[in-house]
Amino acid sequence: MTRIDDKIRRVDALEKARGEAKYLADLSFDDMLYARFVRSTVARGRIVSVELPDLPEGYWYISAKDIPEGCANSLVMIAGDWRCFADGDVRYVGETIGVLVGRSRAVLKALEEAITVTYEEGEPAVSIDDALALKGGPILEKDDIHCSLVSEKGEDVEEVLARAETIVEETVETGFQEHVHLETNSALCCIEDGRYTFYISCQCPFYVRKSVAGLLGLKPQDIRVKQTTTGGAFGGKEHFPDVLAGPLLVAESVVRKPIKLVFDREEDMLYSVKRHPSKVTFRTGLDKDGRIMGSDINVYYNCGAYLSSSYVVLQRGVFHANGVYNFPSTRIHGYGMATNTFPSDAFRGFGAPQTLFAIETHMDHIAHRLGVDPVEYKRSCFLCQGDETVTQGHIVEKVVLEEMLEQVAAKSDYWRKSKEYGRGSGKGIGMSFYNHGGAFTGNGEQAIIKAHLKLVKDGGHFTILCGQTEMGQGFRTILRKIVASVLEVDLDDITYDNPDTDLVPDSGPTAASRSTMIVGRLAEEAATKMKERLGEDHVEIETEYSHPEGHPWDQSTFKGDAYLGYGWGCACVEVEVDPITNEVKVVGIWSSHDIGRAIDELIVHGQVNGGIIQSLGYASMEKMENRGGHFRQTSMSDYVIPTSMDFPRQEWGLVDNPYEWGPYGAKGMGELVFNGADAAYIDAVERAMDVTINKIPMPVEDLEAVR
Amino acid sequence: MVECYTPKSLDEALAIRRRTGARPLAGGTDLMVQYKQGVGITPVFPFPVMIISGIDELKGIETCEDGSVLIKALTTPSQIASCEAVPYLVRAAAGRMGAVALRNSATIGGNIGNASPKGDLPQPLILLDATVILRSQDGERELLLDDFILGSKKTDLHDDEIIYAVRIPKVEYSYIYYRKIGTRRANAISKLSLSALALVQDGRIIDFRASSGAAGPKVIRSHEAEALVVGQRLEDIQAILPGFLAAWDAAISPHAMPQYRRNTTRRMLEHFLTTVATAPQEGVIE
Amino acid sequence: MIGFTLNGRPVKWEGNPLTRLVDVLREDFGLTGTKEGCGEGECGACSVLRGGKLVTSCLIPMGSLEGDDIVTIEGLRDTDQGRCLVDAFAEAGAVQCGFCIPGMVMAAQALLLTNSKPTEEDVRLAISGNICRCTGYDLIVDAILLASRKGEGLW
Repeated sequence: MTRIDDKIRRVDALEKARGEAKYLADLSFDDMLYARFVRSTVARGRIVSVELPDLPEGYWYISAKDIPEGCANSLVMIAGDWRCFADGDVRYVGETIGVLVGRSRAVLKALEEAITVTYEEGEPAVSIDDALALKGGPILEKDDIHCSLVSEKGEDVEEVLARAETIVEETVETGFQEHVHLETNSALCCIEDGRYTFYISCQCPFYVRKSVAGLLGLKPQDIRVKQTTTGGAFGGKEHFPDVLAGPLLVAESVVRKPIKLVFDREEDMLYSVKRHPSKVTFRTGLDKDGRIMGSDINVYYNCGAYLSSSYVVLQRGVFHANGVYNFPSTRIHGYGMATNTFPSDAFRGFGAPQTLFAIETHMDHIAHRLGVDPVEYKRSCFLCQGDETVTQGHIVEKVVLEEMLEQVAAKSDYWRKSKEYGRGSGKGIGMSFYNHGGAFTGNGEQAIIKAHLKLVKDGGHFTILCGQTEMGQGFRTILRKIVASVLEVDLDDITYDNPDTDLVPDSGPTAASRSTMIVGRLAEEAATKMKERLGEDHVEIETEYSHPEGHPWDQSTFKGDAYLGYGWGCACVEVEVDPITNEVKVVGIWSSHDIGRAIDELIVHGQVNGGIIQSLGYASMEKMENRGGHFRQTSMSDYVIPTSMDFPRQEWGLVDNPYEWGPYGAKGMGELVFNGADAAYIDAVERAMDVTINKIPMPVEDLEAVR
Repeated sequence: MVECYTPKSLDEALAIRRRTGARPLAGGTDLMVQYKQGVGITPVFPFPVMIISGIDELKGIETCEDGSVLIKALTTPSQIASCEAVPYLVRAAAGRMGAVALRNSATIGGNIGNASPKGDLPQPLILLDATVILRSQDGERELLLDDFILGSKKTDLHDDEIIYAVRIPKVEYSYIYYRKIGTRRANAISKLSLSALALVQDGRIIDFRASSGAAGPKVIRSHEAEALVVGQRLEDIQAILPGFLAAWDAAISPHAMPQYRRNTTRRMLEHFLTTVATAPQEGVIE
Repeated sequence: MIGFTLNGRPVKWEGNPLTRLVDVLREDFGLTGTKEGCGEGECGACSVLRGGKLVTSCLIPMGSLEGDDIVTIEGLRDTDQGRCLVDAFAEAGAVQCGFCIPGMVMAAQALLLTNSKPTEEDVRLAISGNICRCTGYDLIVDAILLASRKGEGLW
């Protein structure tokens, strides 16, 4: 019998460690062909001509012309503007113009190199500043703004600033971040039982069929999607698999044989979505005692060529722009900028990390100006239960930031070190506070997703049917553990396979830290109902999401409770900086998180470790530059992510703060753990070097520029 | 398909080299990356190649009678790093190349033959006045590695020659210094590296050398700048330091990240020399 | 024709000598436990043992393999050492998405073959060429240290 507090092994650990788990690249079908994308080599321009070499027998070139008459050349994500194939013009480097299909990958590569695309090139806008200056003329109809919104609370912020004793102005910027899931993007399309069928490495199989069905005038349910073992995703396989699936589906409608597409690393690095670069400006008014009266904030995200899911990313960024602090008044403008770069998309944190880094860094700088310890300063502004949020909603749950601070400060010896390490001494310690709104923003869970889950009993065995995917985060284990624990049975008495859209109900995407909180809850409910009927031989129970009372939200004005609840975090980083080379050695990492309650501590441990290291990579070494629309980092040797030697062993902890609406009191945590170590690191580096830093990443050469 | 040969002996390799001009392919850590074609596709080389990794005559490290160390071309960084006979600076550089698997595959011949400005081994080797021994069917020639490497990815290797070995002369020193600043703390490509060495006798510097890697198209050594230090007494170092640093700075070519490379190189040299000036215990300066 | 030992058995292979070992393992021998993560020796997902030493199979041309001895995860996992390692990875919670793990197990094996009682620093150094994006490495380090303890006498 498996109980919720038992230490168990992940259900997928052995097959993965033994090399038996089948990822997409490991699959092989009879008569299988391969696909290779033909992509734009310019960032902006009109396609004058596409000249093809003679295609050998058994080779195809598929493009927009192969989309049937009357069907839209559109990948339906949150918006539908991302085209399956560029047609007439190109809007970013790497845009899919066509797809070559055939048996030999070497021949496909040679064919691709023999294709000549002639462009009439335009001047690309690549950065947020380019877009603001309308470089090269408007990308959209009249401007370069894909989307925008405002959030306000308190008094009119201009009036507040007019009364302020001091106004602190600054700009904080963050760069692109590439997911670098170790398994590159990959998909296979075939026809099984007369239906288009995908095997695909992805987070959201239901997204895939919804996105591509219209290309052939089909309904989503006409297409079957089977998720294969997914080798990491981090948001990079939330919508982006659609960009592989669309051209494959159109090709399949012509070729009608299994077609496999596996990106190599260079393709995955250059031609996949990234985290949105950001620029956040602050005008913060302080009273004569240094207390924050209000802040006027502008948030700009570089969304790239298509809106796709960026409006929702921007919303999350805006809603997190005051961090874990209660400013009496604030106004936050958010702008999603259109540029001629690869469309930006989901990446662990989904827009929150950028504004959280900005506000933490801003708070550190204000505290430094005032000559007070940044942690003392920040804690004086902590949000509490019942406080108003930037969307004029309220913090519903108990906030235990003080408890977390105490835990981390004790383990790290923060107060002593903060006092003893002089600014510029080469040693520094920094601490950050952050949160993450769980599940879909606003009423999305109710209005858009309406998740379903099914639990089936056959004799003594149970099967969980839902669309949530395992991508490394541990959900196949988590969900079975919840059900086993409620039913008081063994983990082995429960089956929960990689989802197949023909077999499972749509429980919504595996994203937004919603799986445990929302779908885990549905499983807990189903199991609780099942428990009453254990005497029956065959039972099917389906549960449907219902929105907890007391969370008003108006999607047209963005007012109300933006999230059902938040995860909360505190991270502390200690560094030593080499005064000769600027090399930063992290000597300590401590964290504490409020995730409600852990379903499985070992899995949480792994998530905390991994999220924090990703965040430290983001702040320190992960530099992805774009010049003229071209990413300059093309491989894992020039876009570097942390190794086992870069950061020391972490100390971590949790606080117990059960969440009313989550299974066993659990709430989301996968993204939360990414959201703050970056700011703690920069705080520590600033103190060690006595410098001011306003952007990440900060590799040694960029530290040189500020020292 | 491009020609590919797999000679079993050095003689066979030299004959193929003369006949076809085939380039040696050893560990594959440079060439197999440079000419890769992607998942499931055989790399395509624009020139004939010969896989020489099976030639035992090109493997091993020997200490010669004159105290010099001969490292044959197919010796891997792992073997170099763990061989006590190899001078410290070269072991240090070999031990920080890539990570374990790369150090088990790459070769010293490849690392110098590839002549990448970011290559790890040429920098300390050039500091130590190492020579490279080249073999052809006509015989052997030996020249300074500094003269062999002409620039980024350019060497003086003739079409019929194969790199046979690197010879490192015995160099006496009192103090040595090695730093590699990589893109991260391990498994990293060099952003900048520096070796320095000083031999001090009776309070006077009688040999001083420095070399910078990744700071220009090839490893930088400035004999002019070194000459400003050689012969000086320790107590005079502070006085000559500005002139020396200016001379070094002039030797560094403008490049990507110029500010960081220049400033850090200056700080490293300053650190080394000011530390030496205090006459600390002999050995490695941290 | 190239003859070498693969997971303890003599095998022969014929083809372009520049073909990469990783492609041959995965596509000709069906040994898909060896993963390709980057194709340039940077990530370690394709790690195998060659003569007992860790190498990345994406950089090895088949023409260099005559007489060599190659061990992949498939050849290791059912040995006493392999079982101990794989079990320790599961026990320690070291596996998340799993794509890097077979390579990581090979790196651990290469370490333990030369150093059966490694320190945490030894372990971190030994796996520094094996990139993992999920775990932040601590639990992988724990797994290898656990294998070293549990596998007393195996290495």
